[in-house]
Amino acid sequence: MTTISTPVEQAPASAGLEGRPDVNRKRMARLGWAFSAPALIIIAAVTIFPIIYSVAMSLSNVTVSGNGFSLNGFTWSNFSLVLQSPKWHYALGFTLIYTFVTVLAELVLGTLIALVLQRLTAGRGWMMALLLIPWSMITVINAMLWQYIFNGTYGVATDLFGLNNVLGTPTPAIIALMIADIWKTTPFVAIIVLAGLVMLPGDIYEAAEVDGSSGWSTFWRITVPLLRPTLALAVLFRVLQAFGLFDLPYVMTSGGPGTSTNSLAILGYNAMFKNLAFGPGAAVATTTALLVLLGCLISLRAFKVQVGSEGT
Amino acid sequence: MKGRKRHGWRRVINGVTISTFVIVVLLAAPLYWLIVSSFKTPEAMGVSPPQYFPSPVSGANYSDAFKQYDFGIYFRNSLIVSLVATALVLIFGTLAGYALARTPMRGKFTTMVTLLMISLFPAIALIAPLYLLMRQVGWLNSYQALIIPYTAFNLPFSIWILRNYMLGIPKEMEETGRIDGASPLRTIWSIILPMALPGVFTAAIFCFTACWTEFLMALTFNDVNTYKTIPVGIATFGTPTLTPYGEIFAASVVAVVPIGILVFIFRKFVVSGLTSGAVKG
Repeated sequence: MTTISTPVEQAPASAGLEGRPDVNRKRMARLGWAFSAPALIIIAAVTIFPIIYSVAMSLSNVTVSGNGFSLNGFTWSNFSLVLQSPKWHYALGFTLIYTFVTVLAELVLGTLIALVLQRLTAGRGWMMALLLIPWSMITVINAMLWQYIFNGTYGVATDLFGLNNVLGTPTPAIIALMIADIWKTTPFVAIIVLAGLVMLPGDIYEAAEVDGSSGWSTFWRITVPLLRPTLALAVLFRVLQAFGLFDLPYVMTSGGPGTSTNSLAILGYNAMFKNLAFGPGAAVATTTALLVLLGCLISLRAFKVQVGSEGT
Repeated sequence: MKGRKRHGWRRVINGVTISTFVIVVLLAAPLYWLIVSSFKTPEAMGVSPPQYFPSPVSGANYSDAFKQYDFGIYFRNSLIVSLVATALVLIFGTLAGYALARTPMRGKFTTMVTLLMISLFPAIALIAPLYLLMRQVGWLNSYQALIIPYTAFNLPFSIWILRNYMLGIPKEMEETGRIDGASPLRTIWSIILPMALPGVFTAAIFCFTACWTEFLMALTFNDVNTYKTIPVGIATFGTPTLTPYGEIFAASVVAVVPIGILVFIFRKFVVSGLTSGAVKG
Protein backbone atom coordinates (compact mmCIF):
# COMPACT_ATOMS: atom_id res chain seq x y z
CA MET A 1 0.00 0.00 0.00
CA THR A 2 2.71 2.46 0.97
CA THR A 3 4.72 1.76 -2.16
CA ILE A 4 1.67 2.48 -4.19
CA SER A 5 0.82 5.77 -2.55
CA THR A 6 4.34 7.24 -2.27
CA PRO A 7 4.70 8.38 -5.89
CA VAL A 8 1.17 9.59 -5.72
CA GLU A 9 1.91 12.40 -3.31
CA GLN A 10 3.93 14.21 -5.93
CA ALA A 11 1.79 13.08 -8.84
CA PRO A 12 -0.61 16.03 -8.91
CA ALA A 13 2.23 18.48 -9.48
CA SER A 14 3.48 16.77 -12.61
CA ALA A 15 0.50 14.77 -13.84
CA GLY A 16 -1.90 17.18 -15.48
CA LEU A 17 0.91 19.41 -16.68
CA GLU A 18 3.39 18.63 -19.41
CA GLY A 19 6.31 19.60 -17.14
CA ARG A 20 8.25 16.35 -16.61
CA PRO A 21 6.60 13.78 -18.83
CA ASP A 22 9.45 11.25 -18.61
CA VAL A 23 9.50 11.02 -14.84
CA ASN A 24 5.76 10.90 -14.72
CA ARG A 25 5.65 8.20 -17.36
CA LYS A 26 8.07 6.05 -15.41
CA ARG A 27 6.08 6.48 -12.25
CA MET A 28 2.85 5.58 -13.99
CA ALA A 29 4.47 2.49 -15.52
CA ARG A 30 5.64 1.36 -12.10
CA LEU A 31 2.16 2.01 -10.76
CA GLY A 32 0.80 -0.15 -13.58
CA TRP A 33 2.92 -3.10 -12.54
CA ALA A 34 2.04 -2.58 -8.88
CA PHE A 35 -1.66 -2.63 -9.74
CA SER A 36 -1.36 -5.70 -11.98
CA ALA A 37 0.86 -7.64 -9.59
CA PRO A 38 -1.82 -9.27 -7.39
CA ALA A 39 -3.77 -10.53 -10.41
CA LEU A 40 -0.69 -11.67 -12.33
CA ILE A 41 0.78 -13.45 -9.30
CA ILE A 42 -2.40 -15.41 -8.60
CA ILE A 43 -2.77 -16.34 -12.27
CA ALA A 44 0.87 -17.43 -12.49
CA ALA A 45 0.68 -19.45 -9.27
CA VAL A 46 -2.43 -21.34 -10.31
CA THR A 47 -1.79 -21.76 -14.03
CA ILE A 48 1.76 -21.20 -15.24
CA PHE A 49 3.70 -23.03 -12.53
CA PRO A 50 1.37 -26.05 -12.57
CA ILE A 51 1.69 -26.19 -16.37
CA ILE A 52 5.47 -26.43 -16.00
CA TYR A 53 5.12 -29.05 -13.28
CA SER A 54 2.67 -30.99 -15.43
CA VAL A 55 5.19 -31.11 -18.28
CA ALA A 56 7.90 -32.23 -15.87
CA MET A 57 5.61 -34.93 -14.54
CA SER A 58 4.86 -36.25 -18.01
CA LEU A 59 8.62 -36.55 -18.67
CA SER A 60 9.41 -38.41 -15.43
CA ASN A 61 9.05 -41.79 -13.84
CA VAL A 62 6.33 -41.00 -11.33
CA THR A 63 6.11 -43.22 -8.28
CA VAL A 64 3.00 -43.00 -6.14
CA SER A 65 3.41 -43.65 -2.46
CA GLY A 66 0.97 -43.33 0.42
CA ASN A 67 2.04 -39.76 0.99
CA GLY A 68 1.99 -38.22 -2.46
CA PHE A 69 4.10 -38.83 -5.53
CA SER A 70 7.71 -38.27 -6.45
CA LEU A 71 9.43 -37.74 -9.78
CA ASN A 72 12.40 -40.03 -10.40
CA GLY A 73 14.47 -39.45 -13.48
CA PHE A 74 13.77 -38.33 -17.03
CA THR A 75 11.93 -40.59 -19.44
CA TRP A 76 10.05 -40.47 -22.73
CA SER A 77 8.15 -43.62 -21.83
CA ASN A 78 4.95 -41.85 -20.73
CA PHE A 79 4.62 -40.17 -24.11
CA SER A 80 5.51 -43.27 -26.12
CA LEU A 81 3.03 -45.25 -24.06
CA VAL A 82 0.28 -42.70 -24.68
CA LEU A 83 1.04 -42.10 -28.36
CA GLN A 84 0.93 -45.84 -29.09
CA SER A 85 -2.15 -46.53 -27.03
CA PRO A 86 -5.31 -47.37 -29.01
CA LYS A 87 -7.33 -45.81 -26.17
CA TRP A 88 -5.62 -42.47 -26.76
CA HIS A 89 -6.14 -42.76 -30.52
CA TYR A 90 -9.83 -43.39 -29.92
CA ALA A 91 -10.18 -40.53 -27.41
CA LEU A 92 -8.40 -38.14 -29.80
CA GLY A 93 -10.63 -39.19 -32.68
CA PHE A 94 -13.76 -38.96 -30.55
CA THR A 95 -12.83 -35.49 -29.25
CA LEU A 96 -12.04 -34.25 -32.78
CA ILE A 97 -15.26 -35.58 -34.34
CA TYR A 98 -17.34 -34.42 -31.40
CA THR A 99 -15.82 -30.94 -31.62
CA PHE A 100 -16.30 -30.74 -35.38
CA VAL A 101 -19.94 -31.89 -35.42
CA THR A 102 -21.13 -29.88 -32.40
CA VAL A 103 -19.41 -26.63 -33.39
CA LEU A 104 -20.65 -26.90 -36.99
CA ALA A 105 -24.21 -27.65 -35.88
CA GLU A 106 -24.13 -24.85 -33.30
CA LEU A 107 -22.85 -22.42 -35.91
CA VAL A 108 -25.53 -23.27 -38.49
CA LEU A 109 -28.43 -23.43 -36.02
CA GLY A 110 -27.19 -20.40 -34.09
CA THR A 111 -27.06 -18.34 -37.30
CA LEU A 112 -30.57 -19.47 -38.29
CA ILE A 113 -31.94 -18.50 -34.87
CA ALA A 114 -30.17 -15.15 -35.03
CA LEU A 115 -31.64 -14.44 -38.49
CA VAL A 116 -35.14 -15.19 -37.19
CA LEU A 117 -34.70 -13.08 -34.04
CA GLN A 118 -33.34 -10.18 -36.09
CA ARG A 119 -36.69 -10.04 -37.92
CA LEU A 120 -38.67 -10.37 -34.72
CA THR A 121 -40.33 -7.05 -33.89
CA ALA A 122 -41.68 -7.74 -30.40
CA GLY A 123 -40.47 -9.87 -27.51
CA ARG A 124 -36.80 -9.99 -28.43
CA GLY A 125 -35.84 -9.29 -24.81
CA TRP A 126 -37.82 -12.32 -23.65
CA MET A 127 -36.19 -14.47 -26.32
CA MET A 128 -32.77 -13.31 -25.11
CA ALA A 129 -33.68 -14.34 -21.58
CA LEU A 130 -34.81 -17.76 -22.82
CA LEU A 131 -31.58 -18.16 -24.82
CA LEU A 132 -29.52 -17.37 -21.74
CA ILE A 133 -31.05 -20.08 -19.54
CA PRO A 134 -29.32 -23.04 -21.27
CA TRP A 135 -26.12 -21.01 -21.41
CA SER A 136 -26.13 -20.41 -17.64
CA MET A 137 -27.17 -23.96 -16.72
CA ILE A 138 -24.79 -26.21 -14.80
CA THR A 139 -23.49 -28.81 -17.29
CA VAL A 140 -23.96 -31.57 -14.72
CA ILE A 141 -27.69 -30.73 -14.57
CA ASN A 142 -27.87 -30.70 -18.37
CA ALA A 143 -26.21 -34.14 -18.39
CA MET A 144 -28.65 -35.56 -15.80
CA LEU A 145 -31.64 -34.11 -17.65
CA TRP A 146 -30.70 -35.61 -21.02
CA GLN A 147 -29.74 -38.90 -19.39
CA TYR A 148 -33.30 -39.05 -18.04
CA ILE A 149 -34.79 -37.98 -21.39
CA PHE A 150 -32.91 -40.76 -23.19
CA ASN A 151 -33.46 -43.39 -20.49
CA GLY A 152 -34.03 -46.78 -22.12
CA THR A 153 -37.21 -47.71 -20.24
CA TYR A 154 -38.99 -44.53 -19.17
CA GLY A 155 -37.24 -41.75 -21.09
CA VAL A 156 -39.55 -39.31 -22.84
CA ALA A 157 -37.49 -39.38 -26.09
CA THR A 158 -37.59 -43.18 -26.00
CA ASP A 159 -41.38 -43.01 -25.80
CA LEU A 160 -41.94 -40.20 -28.33
CA PHE A 161 -39.58 -41.41 -31.05
CA GLY A 162 -39.66 -45.16 -30.40
CA LEU A 163 -35.98 -45.28 -29.53
CA ASN A 164 -34.30 -48.23 -27.89
CA ASN A 165 -31.60 -48.07 -25.21
CA VAL A 166 -29.89 -45.00 -26.67
CA LEU A 167 -27.23 -44.54 -24.01
CA GLY A 168 -26.34 -48.24 -24.01
CA THR A 169 -25.24 -48.32 -27.66
CA PRO A 170 -22.05 -46.50 -28.74
CA THR A 171 -23.12 -44.46 -31.79
CA PRO A 172 -26.56 -43.40 -30.49
CA ALA A 173 -24.93 -42.50 -27.16
CA ILE A 174 -22.49 -40.21 -28.95
CA ILE A 175 -25.35 -38.59 -30.88
CA ALA A 176 -27.31 -38.11 -27.64
CA LEU A 177 -24.30 -36.36 -26.08
CA MET A 178 -24.04 -34.11 -29.12
CA ILE A 179 -27.74 -33.22 -28.89
CA ALA A 180 -27.35 -32.28 -25.22
CA ASP A 181 -24.32 -30.13 -26.07
CA ILE A 182 -26.01 -28.48 -29.05
CA TRP A 183 -29.11 -27.67 -26.99
CA LYS A 184 -26.98 -25.97 -24.33
CA THR A 185 -24.52 -24.08 -26.55
CA THR A 186 -26.44 -23.07 -29.70
CA PRO A 187 -28.11 -20.16 -27.83
CA PHE A 188 -24.65 -18.80 -27.00
CA VAL A 189 -23.70 -18.77 -30.69
CA ALA A 190 -27.09 -17.29 -31.61
CA ILE A 191 -26.57 -14.33 -29.26
CA ILE A 192 -23.12 -13.60 -30.66
CA VAL A 193 -24.32 -13.80 -34.26
CA LEU A 194 -27.38 -11.66 -33.49
CA ALA A 195 -25.18 -8.95 -31.97
CA GLY A 196 -23.01 -9.09 -35.09
CA LEU A 197 -26.06 -8.83 -37.36
CA VAL A 198 -27.43 -5.81 -35.51
CA MET A 199 -24.14 -3.98 -35.96
CA LEU A 200 -24.00 -4.49 -39.74
CA PRO A 201 -24.49 -1.29 -41.76
CA GLY A 202 -28.02 -1.07 -43.12
CA ASP A 203 -27.24 0.90 -46.29
CA ILE A 204 -25.38 -2.04 -47.85
CA TYR A 205 -28.61 -4.02 -47.70
CA GLU A 206 -30.55 -1.20 -49.28
CA ALA A 207 -28.00 -1.07 -52.10
CA ALA A 208 -28.27 -4.83 -52.54
CA GLU A 209 -32.04 -4.58 -52.71
CA VAL A 210 -31.82 -1.83 -55.31
CA ASP A 211 -29.48 -4.03 -57.33
CA GLY A 212 -32.15 -6.73 -57.22
CA SER A 213 -30.12 -9.17 -55.19
CA SER A 214 -32.18 -12.09 -53.85
CA GLY A 215 -32.31 -12.82 -50.13
CA TRP A 216 -30.22 -15.95 -50.51
CA SER A 217 -27.39 -14.30 -52.42
CA THR A 218 -27.49 -11.22 -50.18
CA PHE A 219 -26.95 -13.56 -47.23
CA TRP A 220 -23.98 -15.35 -48.80
CA ARG A 221 -22.39 -12.35 -50.51
CA ILE A 222 -22.92 -9.66 -47.88
CA THR A 223 -23.99 -10.99 -44.48
CA VAL A 224 -21.56 -13.92 -44.23
CA PRO A 225 -18.41 -12.02 -45.30
CA LEU A 226 -19.23 -9.11 -42.97
CA LEU A 227 -19.92 -11.46 -40.09
CA ARG A 228 -16.80 -13.52 -40.67
CA PRO A 229 -14.58 -11.88 -38.01
CA THR A 230 -17.28 -12.31 -35.35
CA LEU A 231 -17.93 -15.89 -36.40
CA ALA A 232 -14.25 -16.83 -36.67
CA LEU A 233 -13.48 -15.76 -33.13
CA ALA A 234 -16.57 -17.44 -31.69
CA VAL A 235 -15.79 -20.67 -33.53
CA LEU A 236 -12.16 -20.58 -32.45
CA PHE A 237 -13.08 -20.23 -28.79
CA ARG A 238 -15.74 -22.95 -29.03
CA VAL A 239 -13.29 -25.34 -30.71
CA LEU A 240 -10.56 -24.80 -28.15
CA GLN A 241 -13.07 -25.14 -25.34
CA ALA A 242 -14.60 -28.31 -26.73
CA PHE A 243 -11.13 -29.86 -26.60
CA GLY A 244 -11.35 -29.88 -22.81
CA LEU A 245 -14.71 -31.74 -22.96
CA PHE A 246 -15.21 -33.43 -19.60
CA ASP A 247 -18.39 -32.69 -17.57
CA LEU A 248 -21.03 -33.81 -20.06
CA PRO A 249 -19.77 -37.32 -20.96
CA TYR A 250 -18.41 -37.89 -17.43
CA VAL A 251 -21.89 -37.51 -15.94
CA MET A 252 -24.26 -38.40 -18.80
CA THR A 253 -22.61 -41.59 -20.06
CA SER A 254 -19.67 -42.07 -17.64
CA GLY A 255 -17.50 -42.31 -20.74
CA GLY A 256 -19.51 -45.37 -21.83
CA PRO A 257 -20.94 -47.63 -22.99
CA GLY A 258 -17.53 -49.26 -22.60
CA THR A 259 -15.09 -46.50 -23.47
CA SER A 260 -17.00 -45.15 -26.47
CA THR A 261 -17.48 -41.62 -25.11
CA ASN A 262 -14.07 -41.23 -23.45
CA SER A 263 -12.80 -37.75 -24.33
CA LEU A 264 -9.14 -36.80 -23.93
CA ALA A 265 -9.91 -35.10 -20.61
CA ILE A 266 -11.79 -38.13 -19.25
CA LEU A 267 -8.97 -40.44 -20.36
CA GLY A 268 -6.41 -38.26 -18.58
CA TYR A 269 -8.58 -37.87 -15.48
CA ASN A 270 -9.22 -41.60 -15.15
CA ALA A 271 -5.55 -42.42 -15.71
CA MET A 272 -4.51 -40.03 -12.95
CA PHE A 273 -7.24 -40.26 -10.35
CA LYS A 274 -8.72 -43.73 -10.89
CA ASN A 275 -5.64 -45.78 -11.92
CA LEU A 276 -3.11 -43.51 -10.18
CA ALA A 277 -0.98 -43.63 -13.35
CA PHE A 278 0.13 -40.02 -12.95
CA GLY A 279 2.94 -40.15 -15.53
CA PRO A 280 0.81 -41.33 -18.46
CA GLY A 281 -2.11 -39.22 -17.23
CA ALA A 282 0.07 -36.13 -17.24
CA ALA A 283 1.24 -37.08 -20.74
CA VAL A 284 -2.40 -37.17 -21.92
CA ALA A 285 -3.06 -33.81 -20.23
CA THR A 286 0.11 -32.27 -21.68
CA THR A 287 -0.60 -33.45 -25.23
CA THR A 288 -4.14 -32.05 -24.96
CA ALA A 289 -2.76 -28.73 -23.75
CA LEU A 290 -0.16 -28.75 -26.53
CA LEU A 291 -2.89 -29.25 -29.13
CA VAL A 292 -4.82 -26.31 -27.67
CA LEU A 293 -1.68 -24.18 -27.58
CA LEU A 294 -0.97 -25.09 -31.20
CA GLY A 295 -4.48 -23.98 -32.09
CA CYS A 296 -3.85 -20.70 -30.24
CA LEU A 297 -0.55 -20.05 -32.02
CA ILE A 298 -2.03 -20.82 -35.42
CA SER A 299 -4.77 -18.30 -34.73
CA LEU A 300 -2.51 -15.71 -33.10
CA ARG A 301 -3.32 -13.42 -35.99
CA ALA A 302 -6.96 -13.49 -34.97
CA PHE A 303 -5.96 -12.53 -31.43
CA LYS A 304 -3.83 -9.69 -32.77
CA VAL A 305 -6.78 -8.39 -34.70
CA GLN A 306 -8.89 -8.55 -31.55
CA VAL A 307 -6.33 -6.85 -29.30
CA GLY A 308 -5.37 -4.33 -31.94
CA SER A 309 -8.92 -3.34 -32.77
CA GLU A 310 -9.46 -2.32 -29.15
CA GLY A 311 -6.76 0.28 -29.59
CA THR A 312 -3.71 -0.92 -27.64
CA MET B 1 -63.15 -5.16 -44.59
CA LYS B 2 -62.74 -8.91 -44.92
CA GLY B 3 -59.58 -8.47 -46.95
CA ARG B 4 -58.06 -6.12 -44.42
CA LYS B 5 -58.79 -8.56 -41.62
CA ARG B 6 -57.02 -11.35 -43.46
CA HIS B 7 -54.16 -9.00 -44.06
CA GLY B 8 -53.89 -8.35 -40.28
CA TRP B 9 -54.03 -12.04 -39.61
CA ARG B 10 -51.27 -12.78 -42.07
CA ARG B 11 -49.17 -10.11 -40.48
CA VAL B 12 -49.17 -12.04 -37.23
CA ILE B 13 -48.87 -15.58 -38.59
CA ASN B 14 -45.85 -15.49 -40.89
CA GLY B 15 -42.53 -17.24 -41.32
CA VAL B 16 -40.85 -15.32 -38.53
CA THR B 17 -43.45 -16.02 -35.86
CA ILE B 18 -43.73 -19.68 -36.85
CA SER B 19 -39.94 -20.07 -36.70
CA THR B 20 -39.85 -18.23 -33.37
CA PHE B 21 -42.50 -20.58 -32.05
CA VAL B 22 -40.44 -23.62 -33.12
CA ILE B 23 -37.32 -22.17 -31.47
CA VAL B 24 -39.20 -21.49 -28.24
CA VAL B 25 -40.59 -25.03 -28.17
CA LEU B 26 -37.18 -26.63 -28.81
CA LEU B 27 -35.50 -24.49 -26.15
CA ALA B 28 -38.24 -24.77 -23.56
CA ALA B 29 -39.22 -28.45 -23.91
CA PRO B 30 -36.22 -29.83 -21.96
CA LEU B 31 -36.71 -27.10 -19.33
CA TYR B 32 -40.39 -28.04 -19.08
CA TRP B 33 -39.37 -31.64 -18.58
CA LEU B 34 -36.88 -30.70 -15.84
CA ILE B 35 -39.50 -28.75 -13.89
CA VAL B 36 -42.36 -31.21 -14.44
CA SER B 37 -40.22 -34.18 -13.42
CA SER B 38 -39.17 -32.47 -10.22
CA PHE B 39 -42.83 -32.41 -9.11
CA LYS B 40 -43.54 -36.11 -9.77
CA THR B 41 -43.82 -38.80 -7.11
CA PRO B 42 -41.05 -41.45 -7.08
CA GLU B 43 -43.49 -43.98 -8.62
CA ALA B 44 -44.44 -41.59 -11.44
CA MET B 45 -40.77 -40.96 -12.31
CA GLY B 46 -40.31 -44.49 -13.65
CA VAL B 47 -43.64 -44.92 -15.43
CA SER B 48 -43.66 -45.89 -19.10
CA PRO B 49 -45.10 -44.17 -21.09
CA PRO B 50 -44.07 -41.11 -19.08
CA GLN B 51 -46.61 -38.69 -17.57
CA TYR B 52 -46.60 -35.47 -19.55
CA PHE B 53 -48.19 -33.68 -16.65
CA PRO B 54 -47.51 -34.79 -13.06
CA SER B 55 -50.50 -36.26 -11.28
CA PRO B 56 -50.47 -35.99 -8.38
CA VAL B 57 -48.26 -32.93 -8.12
CA SER B 58 -45.84 -33.62 -5.30
CA GLY B 59 -43.30 -31.46 -3.48
CA ALA B 60 -41.70 -34.49 -1.82
CA ASN B 61 -38.60 -34.35 -4.05
CA TYR B 62 -37.85 -30.85 -2.85
CA SER B 63 -38.00 -31.69 0.85
CA ASP B 64 -36.08 -34.94 0.23
CA ALA B 65 -33.29 -33.10 -1.61
CA PHE B 66 -32.71 -31.03 1.50
CA LYS B 67 -33.45 -33.67 4.16
CA GLN B 68 -32.30 -37.04 2.75
CA TYR B 69 -29.51 -35.58 0.67
CA ASP B 70 -27.38 -32.66 1.82
CA PHE B 71 -28.43 -30.22 -0.85
CA GLY B 72 -28.61 -27.35 1.65
CA ILE B 73 -24.92 -27.81 2.44
CA TYR B 74 -23.98 -27.94 -1.26
CA PHE B 75 -25.98 -24.81 -1.95
CA ARG B 76 -24.30 -22.93 0.90
CA ASN B 77 -20.84 -24.08 -0.27
CA SER B 78 -21.49 -23.01 -3.87
CA LEU B 79 -22.72 -19.65 -2.66
CA ILE B 80 -19.67 -19.02 -0.44
CA VAL B 81 -17.12 -20.14 -3.03
CA SER B 82 -18.76 -18.26 -5.92
CA LEU B 83 -19.31 -15.02 -4.00
CA VAL B 84 -15.81 -14.81 -2.52
CA ALA B 85 -14.12 -15.72 -5.81
CA THR B 86 -16.23 -13.14 -7.66
CA ALA B 87 -15.34 -10.44 -5.11
CA LEU B 88 -11.62 -11.21 -5.42
CA VAL B 89 -11.81 -11.26 -9.20
CA LEU B 90 -13.50 -7.85 -9.25
CA ILE B 91 -10.93 -6.26 -6.90
CA PHE B 92 -7.82 -7.62 -8.61
CA GLY B 93 -9.38 -7.41 -12.06
CA THR B 94 -10.26 -3.73 -11.66
CA LEU B 95 -6.72 -2.85 -10.60
CA ALA B 96 -5.12 -4.86 -13.40
CA GLY B 97 -7.67 -3.66 -15.95
CA TYR B 98 -6.90 -0.06 -15.03
CA ALA B 99 -3.16 -0.69 -15.29
CA LEU B 100 -3.55 -2.25 -18.74
CA ALA B 101 -5.91 0.43 -20.00
CA ARG B 102 -4.32 3.54 -18.57
CA THR B 103 -0.68 3.20 -17.49
CA PRO B 104 2.27 3.17 -19.90
CA MET B 105 3.60 -0.16 -18.55
CA ARG B 106 5.57 -2.17 -21.08
CA GLY B 107 4.59 -5.56 -22.45
CA LYS B 108 0.88 -4.82 -22.41
CA PHE B 109 0.20 -6.64 -25.65
CA THR B 110 2.11 -9.74 -24.52
CA THR B 111 0.27 -9.70 -21.19
CA MET B 112 -3.12 -9.46 -22.87
CA VAL B 113 -2.45 -12.29 -25.32
CA THR B 114 -0.98 -14.49 -22.58
CA LEU B 115 -4.05 -13.85 -20.43
CA LEU B 116 -6.33 -14.76 -23.32
CA MET B 117 -4.47 -18.02 -23.95
CA ILE B 118 -4.48 -18.93 -20.26
CA SER B 119 -8.22 -18.45 -20.09
CA LEU B 120 -8.56 -21.03 -22.86
CA PHE B 121 -6.24 -23.58 -21.28
CA PRO B 122 -8.05 -26.85 -20.49
CA ALA B 123 -8.29 -27.39 -16.72
CA ILE B 124 -7.31 -31.04 -17.16
CA ALA B 125 -3.74 -29.94 -17.93
CA LEU B 126 -3.43 -28.33 -14.49
CA ILE B 127 -5.48 -30.60 -12.31
CA ALA B 128 -2.77 -33.03 -11.17
CA PRO B 129 -0.13 -30.47 -10.08
CA LEU B 130 -2.83 -28.37 -8.40
CA TYR B 131 -4.12 -31.44 -6.60
CA LEU B 132 -0.60 -32.21 -5.39
CA LEU B 133 -0.12 -28.61 -4.28
CA MET B 134 -3.42 -28.54 -2.38
CA ARG B 135 -2.52 -31.82 -0.72
CA GLN B 136 0.91 -30.52 0.26
CA VAL B 137 -0.49 -27.45 2.00
CA GLY B 138 -3.41 -29.37 3.46
CA TRP B 139 -6.10 -27.53 1.54
CA LEU B 140 -7.98 -30.50 0.09
CA ASN B 141 -11.60 -30.20 1.25
CA SER B 142 -11.63 -26.52 2.06
CA TYR B 143 -13.16 -23.37 0.59
CA GLN B 144 -9.82 -21.89 -0.45
CA ALA B 145 -9.09 -25.03 -2.53
CA LEU B 146 -11.75 -23.74 -4.93
CA ILE B 147 -11.75 -20.00 -4.29
CA ILE B 148 -8.11 -19.51 -5.32
CA PRO B 149 -8.18 -21.51 -8.59
CA TYR B 150 -11.57 -19.99 -9.51
CA THR B 151 -10.15 -16.52 -8.93
CA ALA B 152 -7.14 -17.28 -11.12
CA PHE B 153 -9.15 -18.87 -13.94
CA ASN B 154 -11.72 -16.08 -14.08
CA LEU B 155 -9.33 -13.15 -13.76
CA PRO B 156 -8.12 -13.12 -17.40
CA PHE B 157 -11.58 -12.67 -18.89
CA SER B 158 -12.57 -10.08 -16.27
CA ILE B 159 -9.37 -8.10 -16.80
CA TRP B 160 -10.09 -8.20 -20.51
CA ILE B 161 -13.67 -6.91 -20.12
CA LEU B 162 -12.77 -4.24 -17.54
CA ARG B 163 -9.84 -2.97 -19.59
CA ASN B 164 -12.07 -2.59 -22.64
CA TYR B 165 -14.61 -0.58 -20.67
CA MET B 166 -11.94 1.61 -19.10
CA LEU B 167 -10.44 2.38 -22.50
CA GLY B 168 -13.75 3.99 -23.38
CA ILE B 169 -13.70 6.41 -20.46
CA PRO B 170 -12.42 9.87 -21.48
CA LYS B 171 -8.98 10.62 -20.04
CA GLU B 172 -10.01 14.14 -19.02
CA MET B 173 -12.25 12.63 -16.35
CA GLU B 174 -9.39 11.23 -14.31
CA GLU B 175 -7.16 14.20 -14.96
CA THR B 176 -9.64 16.44 -13.14
CA GLY B 177 -9.38 14.01 -10.25
CA ARG B 178 -5.62 14.06 -10.33
CA ILE B 179 -5.43 17.84 -10.31
CA ASP B 180 -7.65 17.73 -7.24
CA GLY B 181 -4.90 15.65 -5.64
CA ALA B 182 -6.67 12.31 -5.49
CA SER B 183 -4.46 9.20 -5.27
CA PRO B 184 -4.68 6.63 -8.10
CA LEU B 185 -6.61 4.22 -5.88
CA ARG B 186 -9.05 7.00 -5.02
CA THR B 187 -9.31 7.94 -8.71
CA ILE B 188 -10.20 4.36 -9.60
CA TRP B 189 -12.72 4.11 -6.78
CA SER B 190 -14.57 7.37 -7.27
CA ILE B 191 -14.11 8.20 -10.97
CA ILE B 192 -13.24 5.11 -13.02
CA LEU B 193 -15.33 2.49 -11.23
CA PRO B 194 -18.69 4.30 -11.45
CA MET B 195 -18.16 4.83 -15.18
CA ALA B 196 -17.01 1.25 -15.76
CA LEU B 197 -19.98 -0.16 -13.84
CA PRO B 198 -21.47 -2.00 -16.85
CA GLY B 199 -18.11 -3.74 -17.27
CA VAL B 200 -18.07 -4.62 -13.58
CA PHE B 201 -21.56 -6.14 -13.82
CA THR B 202 -20.55 -8.12 -16.90
CA ALA B 203 -17.37 -9.44 -15.27
CA ALA B 204 -19.26 -10.25 -12.07
CA ILE B 205 -22.01 -12.25 -13.73
CA PHE B 206 -19.60 -14.20 -15.94
CA CYS B 207 -17.35 -15.00 -13.00
CA PHE B 208 -20.25 -16.02 -10.75
CA THR B 209 -21.77 -18.25 -13.43
CA ALA B 210 -18.42 -19.91 -14.14
CA CYS B 211 -17.83 -20.63 -10.42
CA TRP B 212 -21.42 -21.82 -9.93
CA THR B 213 -21.12 -24.36 -12.77
CA GLU B 214 -17.47 -25.53 -12.46
CA PHE B 215 -17.16 -29.29 -12.06
CA LEU B 216 -13.70 -30.79 -12.65
CA MET B 217 -11.77 -28.97 -9.92
CA ALA B 218 -14.63 -29.18 -7.44
CA LEU B 219 -14.82 -32.93 -8.08
CA THR B 220 -11.09 -33.43 -7.61
CA PHE B 221 -10.32 -31.16 -4.67
CA ASN B 222 -13.42 -31.36 -2.46
CA ASP B 223 -14.85 -34.86 -2.15
CA VAL B 224 -16.09 -34.67 1.44
CA ASN B 225 -19.80 -33.94 1.81
CA THR B 226 -19.33 -30.82 3.94
CA TYR B 227 -17.31 -29.09 1.18
CA LYS B 228 -18.98 -30.33 -2.01
CA THR B 229 -20.47 -27.73 -4.32
CA ILE B 230 -23.78 -28.10 -6.19
CA PRO B 231 -22.47 -29.71 -9.42
CA VAL B 232 -20.49 -32.36 -7.54
CA GLY B 233 -23.28 -32.87 -5.04
CA ILE B 234 -25.86 -33.42 -7.78
CA ALA B 235 -23.54 -35.73 -9.73
CA THR B 236 -23.01 -37.91 -6.64
CA PHE B 237 -26.64 -38.05 -5.42
CA GLY B 238 -27.68 -41.65 -4.96
CA THR B 239 -25.69 -44.81 -5.55
CA PRO B 240 -24.05 -46.41 -8.62
CA THR B 241 -27.15 -48.56 -9.13
CA LEU B 242 -29.83 -45.99 -8.37
CA THR B 243 -30.08 -42.43 -9.70
CA PRO B 244 -32.73 -40.50 -7.72
CA TYR B 245 -33.86 -38.34 -10.65
CA GLY B 246 -36.73 -36.77 -8.71
CA GLU B 247 -34.50 -35.33 -6.00
CA ILE B 248 -31.82 -34.45 -8.57
CA PHE B 249 -34.27 -32.41 -10.65
CA ALA B 250 -35.75 -30.71 -7.58
CA ALA B 251 -32.23 -29.71 -6.54
CA SER B 252 -31.51 -28.65 -10.13
CA VAL B 253 -34.51 -26.33 -10.26
CA VAL B 254 -33.36 -24.75 -6.99
CA ALA B 255 -29.83 -24.39 -8.43
CA VAL B 256 -31.02 -22.94 -11.75
CA VAL B 257 -33.44 -20.38 -10.30
CA PRO B 258 -30.98 -17.94 -8.63
CA ILE B 259 -28.64 -17.87 -11.59
CA GLY B 260 -31.64 -17.63 -13.92
CA ILE B 261 -32.97 -14.59 -12.06
CA LEU B 262 -29.51 -13.02 -12.01
CA VAL B 263 -29.01 -13.59 -15.73
CA PHE B 264 -32.51 -12.31 -16.49
CA ILE B 265 -32.00 -9.06 -14.55
CA PHE B 266 -28.52 -8.47 -15.96
CA ARG B 267 -29.14 -9.87 -19.45
CA LYS B 268 -28.00 -6.64 -21.09
CA PHE B 269 -24.60 -7.03 -19.48
CA VAL B 270 -24.37 -10.73 -20.25
CA VAL B 271 -25.04 -10.04 -23.92
CA SER B 272 -22.49 -7.22 -24.00
CA GLY B 273 -19.95 -9.51 -22.33
CA LEU B 274 -20.60 -12.31 -24.81
CA THR B 275 -20.19 -9.97 -27.73
CA SER B 276 -17.25 -7.86 -26.57
CA GLY B 277 -15.19 -10.78 -25.37
CA ALA B 278 -16.77 -13.79 -27.01
CA VAL B 279 -14.44 -15.74 -24.75
CA LYS B 280 -16.62 -17.89 -22.56
CA GLY B 281 -19.18 -20.42 -23.62
